[in-house]
Amino acid sequence: MGYDCVIAGAGPAGMSAAVTLNEYGVASLVLDRGVRAGGQIFRSAAQSPLPDARVLGPDYTSGADLIAAYEKSGSQHISGADVWHIGPDSKVLFSKDGETCQAEAREVLLCPGAMERPMPIPGWTLPGVMTAGAAQVMLKSDAMVAEGAVFAGSGPLLYLIVAQYLRLGVKVRALVDTTPRDNYMQAAPMIIGALSAPSMLQKGLLLLNEIRRAGVPVYRNINQLEVIGETRAEGLRIQTPKGAVDLETDTVFLHHGVMPNANMTRALGLEHIWNEEQLTWHVKCNRFGQTSMSHVSVAGDGAGITGADGAQCEGRLAALNILKRLGCLSLQERDRLAAPDLKTLRKLAKFRGFIDRLYRPLKSLRVPQVENTLVCRCEERSLADLRDGFETGAKDPNALKGLTRCGMGPCQGRQCGPMVSQLLSDWRQEPIEDVGYYRLRSPQRLLSLEEFSRFEVISPNQEATQ
Amino acid sequence: MFRSLRTDANPTASVTVNGHSVEVPMGQTVWSALALSGQTTTRKAALSGNDRSAYCAMGVCFECLVEIDGQSNQQACLRQVTDGMCIATQTITEQTKADL
Repeated sequence: MGYDCVIAGAGPAGMSAAVTLNEYGVASLVLDRGVRAGGQIFRSAAQSPLPDARVLGPDYTSGADLIAAYEKSGSQHISGADVWHIGPDSKVLFSKDGETCQAEAREVLLCPGAMERPMPIPGWTLPGVMTAGAAQVMLKSDAMVAEGAVFAGSGPLLYLIVAQYLRLGVKVRALVDTTPRDNYMQAAPMIIGALSAPSMLQKGLLLLNEIRRAGVPVYRNINQLEVIGETRAEGLRIQTPKGAVDLETDTVFLHHGVMPNANMTRALGLEHIWNEEQLTWHVKCNRFGQTSMSHVSVAGDGAGITGADGAQCEGRLAALNILKRLGCLSLQERDRLAAPDLKTLRKLAKFRGFIDRLYRPLKSLRVPQVENTLVCRCEERSLADLRDGFETGAKDPNALKGLTRCGMGPCQGRQCGPMVSQLLSDWRQEPIEDVGYYRLRSPQRLLSLEEFSRFEVISPNQEATQ
Repeated sequence: MFRSLRTDANPTASVTVNGHSVEVPMGQTVWSALALSGQTTTRKAALSGNDRSAYCAMGVCFECLVEIDGQSNQQACLRQVTDGMCIATQTITEQTKADL
């Protein structure tokens, strides 16, 4: 006996979808890796460890309302559930408390969310180098901050965490902004479109003002960075027009945008397409998130980056389409109910287009420029190792993986994958679409045989059966 | 250097990090327990044996693999501390031989 719908991921997209499904009497099973629903963006929004979570801003605290609505909705939520296999037969396998569980579903909705784009500058594997998202996660879930850190990169998330640190009285050593000066010129014509979301534009400007007023040293238009230190980070060296500047710190937070966390959608064999505006792979789907496998849908940043507001629209739209497929809504009802969210998404897309152009990361920071810089953090494969592999004859990602072990470690290419596709595209002088990506397989996490031997089947009417 | 902004008097868990006893608030991640105790090396890199530490803190980089209660390859950022938990830097490399 299976579920009508299994949702993987309880961020804004997954929660919104579950709420909508429940409004029409479909109780879904929601599998989420977190301690509580919220995803990355609304992590701990319902029970912040901070003395006053309002310093994180109203966009964050509003997440508590969605979490409350979701938790009241009657979905079956399993926290600490790490989904590691979804088959084309709709069998979902996940780990929970050292056990393997299986659930079956008529419809599967994947909401895997986003992860940060790797930023492979020299020294990026040294202890003390983390992502800006990591700073956010530590702040939200554990009220942890790093005193005197350097933040480097480009994009809204970077400025947001710097502003949050400042509001909390945490010293920020410097902000190194890698946004190329040309980007401002090229994004300028798109500002008209961005004005369709004036509040978002205003929020961004306020953040930048907040940082400026606080007197944090800001270095702009930087394109050469290097983490210094032998066994751990001791500072960030940047090239400025006046020469090299060493910013001493034991913590460097890097960020230049996010991309869909595509391991699950890749391993399932869904079709993906290259998005040149966002410089990421997206899941190929229709406006309701329905993918190349008709019973599998995808919503939120895991499909393509739209942000938390867009993710909620996409979650509801995917749910409406699933309701239609389950026979709970007619085509006409689905389309009538979908209209407001589709309209909001069109507005958000214009704003997103502006942001994507303004914070388009430099090519020289997306792929390593120095021969001994590691591309594959797990198997320690450098740019030079991959070039050797390519010259030996490994012309596509899977061949290069087989020859060099790049992408064979525990992260399963989550970090090196985007770089490998881009490097091969450059070396072959062919479009990245023709190069493709690693062929991924389950399980998508490290799994012990002991864990695998403890096997349970979860079904809607009973908690678990052997 | 990492520090905690918590002011609430939550119950704490006693854990050991590489043999040193540390008190951390219940519900904290294993990674933040490491960071609070100043033991930021989570694992040794598989080939070179170089020190590595948490990079993403959200489960996608697998840099924070540690040994928890004798079990290796645990993602410190995804696990929460429990009282009496024994956390250790993971020292497995390509040269390590399994106990059979």
